[in-house]
Amino acid sequence: MLTALLLIAFAFLVHRRFLSGYAPPPPGLAVLHRGEATFIDAAAEVLFPGGGSLPVAGIEAQLPHYVDRHLAALPRAQRFQIRALLLLFEHGTLLFPGDEPGGRRRFSSLSAAARVSILARLSKHPNRHARLVFMALRAVLTLGYLGHPGNLCALGVAPFEIQPGVSDAELLFPRIGGLVSSIRYEPEDRTDPALLGPLDPHGPRHRAYARAHPGRR
Amino acid sequence: MPSDPGPDAASEDWLVAARERVRVFAQYEGAFREEADVVVVGSGPCGAVAAYELAAAGHDVILLEEGPPFTVRDFELDGNLSMTRTMREGGLRMTRGTVMPTMQAIALGGGSLVNSAICVRPPDAVFDRWATGFDLERTNRAELDPHFDAIATFLGIAPTPDEVQGRRNLLFRDACNALGVSSEPIERSVRGCRGSGECFTGCRSRAKQSMDVSYVPAALRAGARVFTSVQVQQVHSIGRRVTGVSGQVVAPFSRGSRRGRSHHFRIDARAIVLAAGCTATPVLLKQSGDLANASGQVGENLQFHPGLAIAGIFPEPVDPQFGATQGYQSLAFLEEGFKLETLWAPPPLLSMRFPGFGEELLSHFAEIPQMAVWDAIVSANRSLGRVRARWRSLDPVLHWAIHPEDVAILRRSLKVIAELFFAAGARKILPGVQGIAEVMTSLDQARILDSDAVRPENLVLGGNHVFCTTRMHGDPTRGVVDEDGRCHDLENLYIADTGIFPQCPSVNPMLTGMALARRQARLLGQRL
Repeated sequence: MLTALLLIAFAFLVHRRFLSGYAPPPPGLAVLHRGEATFIDAAAEVLFPGGGSLPVAGIEAQLPHYVDRHLAALPRAQRFQIRALLLLFEHGTLLFPGDEPGGRRRFSSLSAAARVSILARLSKHPNRHARLVFMALRAVLTLGYLGHPGNLCALGVAPFEIQPGVSDAELLFPRIGGLVSSIRYEPEDRTDPALLGPLDPHGPRHRAYARAHPGRR
Repeated sequence: MPSDPGPDAASEDWLVAARERVRVFAQYEGAFREEADVVVVGSGPCGAVAAYELAAAGHDVILLEEGPPFTVRDFELDGNLSMTRTMREGGLRMTRGTVMPTMQAIALGGGSLVNSAICVRPPDAVFDRWATGFDLERTNRAELDPHFDAIATFLGIAPTPDEVQGRRNLLFRDACNALGVSSEPIERSVRGCRGSGECFTGCRSRAKQSMDVSYVPAALRAGARVFTSVQVQQVHSIGRRVTGVSGQVVAPFSRGSRRGRSHHFRIDARAIVLAAGCTATPVLLKQSGDLANASGQVGENLQFHPGLAIAGIFPEPVDPQFGATQGYQSLAFLEEGFKLETLWAPPPLLSMRFPGFGEELLSHFAEIPQMAVWDAIVSANRSLGRVRARWRSLDPVLHWAIHPEDVAILRRSLKVIAELFFAAGARKILPGVQGIAEVMTSLDQARILDSDAVRPENLVLGGNHVFCTTRMHGDPTRGVVDEDGRCHDLENLYIADTGIFPQCPSVNPMLTGMALARRQARLLGQRL
């Protein structure tokens, strides 16, 4: 009886710690669960604060969607590694609490100041592995944050607007998933990039990026 | 022997017939069995050249590729998401031991689809080392130059012109000039580069002569069949002869999952050329009953060109997105063991190791418009490893350890790059090394880069040039293949990828691999 009660209590605590109390996830996620999405936003808020030199703040960059898309495209083993990293950060406060009362709460439940304090400690930690864990999280989120079209355009490093070339590959192979019979190009469609000349370094950027940053061409 | 046609040499009549010789994932409706004179496994630079040469010599060739063909509209502009589509293990493959990311493409055209098309001939000293250390008599510049020349003509290999260098590449030239260090525009297999700086995510202009736009179409034109989305899982043999390969159809982007595999296939052939890549070929041999391994050398001797990079921040904008991805190089330090290059990649990938977080990190991001990145690749001949098959998988496990003497070369290269940056007028550099200053603003400060303060475990390395796991050796007890690329143990099994290099070549390996593949394909063609 006592064992059963202890198990129930344990299950309750685990549920409360790991699953309950998260806001509903943003719509459209395929892989991430609500806790992971909440953590990503909480980390992005302090890794990439607003009001700085880039127009899109971490919390606005829709990083849960980016990470979700990334995870969905990864093989299972690599997906597991990244999800384990998110879990480690979210609940690592059990072992390495934040500098405030209640510092053992989930990372995403801590105040911004406490989250900053944890990241600062990890980034300068004397243990190399602790630093590597921090760098791994920063890398995963930087890919989405700096890759946000608004930020790339603001920095002038978004991909150029380019008329896609037509080579023998386009003549011979269908788009991925299509049949060879779906190829619509003929030899006369072939393009020669040499005729187009170098791009203008300040020329227009890819329309999908430019749309996110209407201030630039 | 066939002559190499230029891209405009053939009439267009070939197109309808060639399309009929292509198979893509959507076309496979059941198990199938085929026969050919030669089956080539892998459509990267070496496999594509071998397939073309053999088909042009009149042989019935089937070229197999596990990945799909990418058209321009299949390219993903986001660098990270592009890697998940074009690289095995989502681009997150790492070595064990000395931890280092290393990538292998999975696409028609292999790595040529997503590399920067660098084509460099190794210096004589490299071939001299190979000849004396590995009992090789015919693998030298004189022997290979005709093959280098033919490939250069076919692919339009030429120095990167100034008008598409962009400022970040030309700053490297200026820095070398200022220090009296020789440098030159990188020779690349590109026709009509527009300077979009996006070689690593696929050239949307189709200026880059990756294999899918050059040698694979040429092979189709010459009569080869090309089957994509097929994973070779076994090489079959009887006695000293191989008889064919078998495997399964795999869905594009199925990422190795069992659910992505469907119909079985088998292809019987009079000869097999394995060009699956330096890390995949040994795994395939191991999974095929430890084939061709009487020497015990299959999967051994793994070598890399470990590389590292420094970001330099200039006082004024350098418009880094414009310019050839890798446009300038210096071979001045080859004898010391390293080669210097310029480098660009999607900024989120370059910025992953910027220091700090919060406002500090954002301030580094804000300087990307003033940033150039220069790198070194090191001839790490002493740093060895091995390839093993992962349990119930064709993915490799790579063990590799950096040798202390190669660490010294890496440190030296860091310091030289720092000197170049400050000579070019950079106001600071981000060396990307843990445990020392994250930002350096003077050459005095950068002297630490060539000291023991730079610990090997704190170097942020990358290694995408991989070699030697099925090495060529004149002595059958010490190597897997002979000088013609034929396995010592088997009469009709050839290997054509960088695994056959006896040592790392000190320069970017694509052209050397292609030249060796061209030579051995011509020999094989005569033997059939």
